[in-house]
Amino acid sequence: MTISSPVLRNSMRLILPLTLLYALYAMLKGHNEPGGGFIGGMIFATAICTYRMSHGFAAQLRLMPIHPRYLIFLGLGMALGTSAIPLLFGYPFLRSAVGEFHLPFSAHPFHYASAMAFDLGVMLVVVGVAVGMITQLSEELE
Amino acid sequence: MTTSTTFWLLFCVLAPTLLGLATLWLPKKAITARTLLALLGPVLSFAILVQHLATHGVSSITAPVASPVVEWIPILHMNLSFMTDGLGGFFGLLVSGIGILIVLYARGYFGPDEASLYRFYPTLGFFTTAMMGIVLSDYLLVTVMFWELTSISSFLLIGWDRYDKHAVKLAMQAFFTTGLGGMFLMGGVLMLGYATGINHDEGLWRWSEVLTQGAARFNPSDPLIIAAFGLMLFGATTKSAQWPFHYWLPGAMAAPTPVSAYLHSATMVKAGVFLVGRMFPVFAVLQIWGNIIIPLGAFTMVLGALIALNQHDLKRIFAYTTVSQLGLLICMYGLGSLHYEGHPNIEWDITQIANHAFYKAPLFIIAGALGHYISRDITQLNGAFKKQPWMVITMLLGGYALAAGPGTISFPAKEFFLHAIYDAHESIGSWWMLLMAMAAITAMCNVAIFVRLLTTLMGWPGGMKPASGHGHDDHGAHGEHEHEHGFWAQLIWIPALVLVSLQYVGGLMPGLWSQWFAPLETNMYHFAEGVPGALHAFMHPGVPLYVSLVAIAAGVTVGLSGLMRGAIVDVHDRIYPAMYWLAVTGGGRAFRTIQTGRFRNYLVFVLLAFLAAYVAAMILDPAMMDVPPAESPFEFVPGVLLGVIICATSILMPIVQSRVVRVIILGSCGFSVVGMYLLYQAPDLALTQLMFEIISVILFVLVLRMLPDLKETDRASGRWWRFSLGTLTGLAIGWLTFISAQSGAEPKLGEFFAKNSYTGTPDTQGRGGGGHNIVNVTLVDFRGFDTLGEITVLSIAALGVFSLFPRRKPLPTELEFDDSVVRGATA
Repeated sequence: MTISSPVLRNSMRLILPLTLLYALYAMLKGHNEPGGGFIGGMIFATAICTYRMSHGFAAQLRLMPIHPRYLIFLGLGMALGTSAIPLLFGYPFLRSAVGEFHLPFSAHPFHYASAMAFDLGVMLVVVGVAVGMITQLSEELE
Repeated sequence: MTTSTTFWLLFCVLAPTLLGLATLWLPKKAITARTLLALLGPVLSFAILVQHLATHGVSSITAPVASPVVEWIPILHMNLSFMTDGLGGFFGLLVSGIGILIVLYARGYFGPDEASLYRFYPTLGFFTTAMMGIVLSDYLLVTVMFWELTSISSFLLIGWDRYDKHAVKLAMQAFFTTGLGGMFLMGGVLMLGYATGINHDEGLWRWSEVLTQGAARFNPSDPLIIAAFGLMLFGATTKSAQWPFHYWLPGAMAAPTPVSAYLHSATMVKAGVFLVGRMFPVFAVLQIWGNIIIPLGAFTMVLGALIALNQHDLKRIFAYTTVSQLGLLICMYGLGSLHYEGHPNIEWDITQIANHAFYKAPLFIIAGALGHYISRDITQLNGAFKKQPWMVITMLLGGYALAAGPGTISFPAKEFFLHAIYDAHESIGSWWMLLMAMAAITAMCNVAIFVRLLTTLMGWPGGMKPASGHGHDDHGAHGEHEHEHGFWAQLIWIPALVLVSLQYVGGLMPGLWSQWFAPLETNMYHFAEGVPGALHAFMHPGVPLYVSLVAIAAGVTVGLSGLMRGAIVDVHDRIYPAMYWLAVTGGGRAFRTIQTGRFRNYLVFVLLAFLAAYVAAMILDPAMMDVPPAESPFEFVPGVLLGVIICATSILMPIVQSRVVRVIILGSCGFSVVGMYLLYQAPDLALTQLMFEIISVILFVLVLRMLPDLKETDRASGRWWRFSLGTLTGLAIGWLTFISAQSGAEPKLGEFFAKNSYTGTPDTQGRGGGGHNIVNVTLVDFRGFDTLGEITVLSIAALGVFSLFPRRKPLPTELEFDDSVVRGATA
């Protein structure tokens, strides 16, 4: 499914990096601001699918040179791993660790929650599923 | 007793399996070594058990002592502890002792058939272990576990001939029947543990506790206790082949004869009798104990005996006499709940169980041996004595015990039973006469079978003559196996002789028998000094003796006459096939009716169920339909405008014909919802919904292009009906949303999340999610399990798509592939 529109194609080259950056930002910042793994993954997938529409399958492959299913495996593994690690320390499944540490050049302490790794897993799964399904189905059509 | 005792007894239970598995390491050709190694298993079990009983004595039934607990799964009340009271210890010795003989017999039976022996010994060991576990375990649930293991191992053994479809079907029949009983047993055990734990810290989960504290804790009229008893009894009756579940036992004759002799005469079928015997000391106070068990056992007893008389195949004859004898034993425990002269009406019950094992196993063994060399069809065996004198003599010795002739332990055993019936007249009035008549008919059939065996095998007049048209469809027919020669060949009948000789030890030397069995017995009242000898009954004549004599006379007459010489088919054999048909065919029909494969039909089910639940809720809580006293929902103009768009798109959906247009309409509906979220300040939701709409529209367009067009007639049929269903559902959901948004008084979930999302409150033990974005904290922390489940579902859906549409062309390995599009674009 490729749309040969020069406007779309050229604007995509500008939009794509910004969108991907924003997707990552939304994921990382999600714990305190609007965003999160699910949204981040959706934005990421939308960007890639739009890129595919404007530039074609080969370009998408260049951008993401692995089969999306590996993202699913990785993401699900990460989410499951993050959930299971507390068990090793005698805590319940999915207990998240919350804390702060100081970065060398920053006045503010850096706040972290281990749920972020879980969120990253969610994002990878969402990207893998959305991109994978669309790729597979459009390939079937082509 | 120390913990090491428990480990020794655990080894005693596991030894047959461990050594059975060890035989797999031997080379296939080494069958003598294999036999000896397999023999070591039950020998070790037997020896350890004898040693244990000799050191620690037989645990008394009123104050049973179990070995110290070794924790296994304490939370499930499954720990390792073993109890060797008279019943358990006797069954342990019986199982391992006959196990020894069966290992030897199997060597003679399978002969030089290496492949069969290779497979047989580990399976047999597995079964022996399961059986030992049932009878020795102290924890009820461990007993249940081993109970199910016997079902599994007997399935493997009955379906021994994997290529024989008939045998496999019969194996499944036995498995489902006894397995079903096992489920009931488990339910009963769980209910018992629950019911006894209601007013106490812990329920009763150990036999030793049930036996000591059961009487104090049971309220005989408590429906939970009665239900628990009923379920456990159901388990026992399926295993012990009581009517109407007895059909599986003759069916199990498809197994090789060593299996029949072991499982279906001596051990597995006795598991039910064992369970009834275990429950007897405490449960016999229940009113329904006697009311259910006595008629059930007595009916099974007569039915089995009558069918047995009308059979030709030796194994089937003995199978049905087993059914009959099991009915007798169950009935015996039923009569035990009645009282006579202040004592329970039961005498030497373990002797009566042992009696059956000591003649039935030899009969099976010889039936297999004769089938091996001549035939298993009694009409083909006329004059077999001349060909196989030793086998025939052993069989007749067993047959004489079957007929309960004087001189065998079977004779006093039957007298005990008849006495119990006669003594029951104190409690059950003239019903004893009916029971006595049933017992007499059973005894008559057994005598007739013996007389028939005697005349036929010896070739005397009155024996069975060959009839035309018979078929061998069971395993072990003549010529199936290569014959063994020399010493090992004799093992095909020697084990039977060893066992049956115990019958005559008991009959002719009652003092010796009493010395062996008195420590194991708990129910000795009128014959506390010992088992009576053969002459005792004749010295003290009474109704029981007269009944026996009448039965013997009638039996001899029937055996010699031409009566009941046919081979009939048991009508109960149809039960399982009928149930199987019902499950498979009926299930298939139901499946095809419900699972149409059309999404539209499934949706109808879901929506109808939802509407039904809605109506039910409305009836239960009429306040649901009251309009909440709230401000008008139509005050915010932009929201109303978006609402109008959403409604308009929804109404358009069913009107528009083209699918692609529909997708676009659905998308515009979704985008309006995004606007709604933004208006009401939910940026997270808006962002998610926006992205989701984009991706779902792309996906819909892709998928819809692959679907065939719907036929106009298909669309038109039932359109109005679907329309009204959809409208109703929409109204119901809309109303629910409306009233839930307006109900302000109840505490809301949202507030909980808002309070706890960052730092947490005492509600959450002071732990918060450590984030300010409530939506995200809810997703990854409070509802983390949900999210994990959702992404798993997503992944599975994606994998489904990947496998539904397999890649037809290989992925371009070179990234330059199809680069022209890109190059053309940039040029």
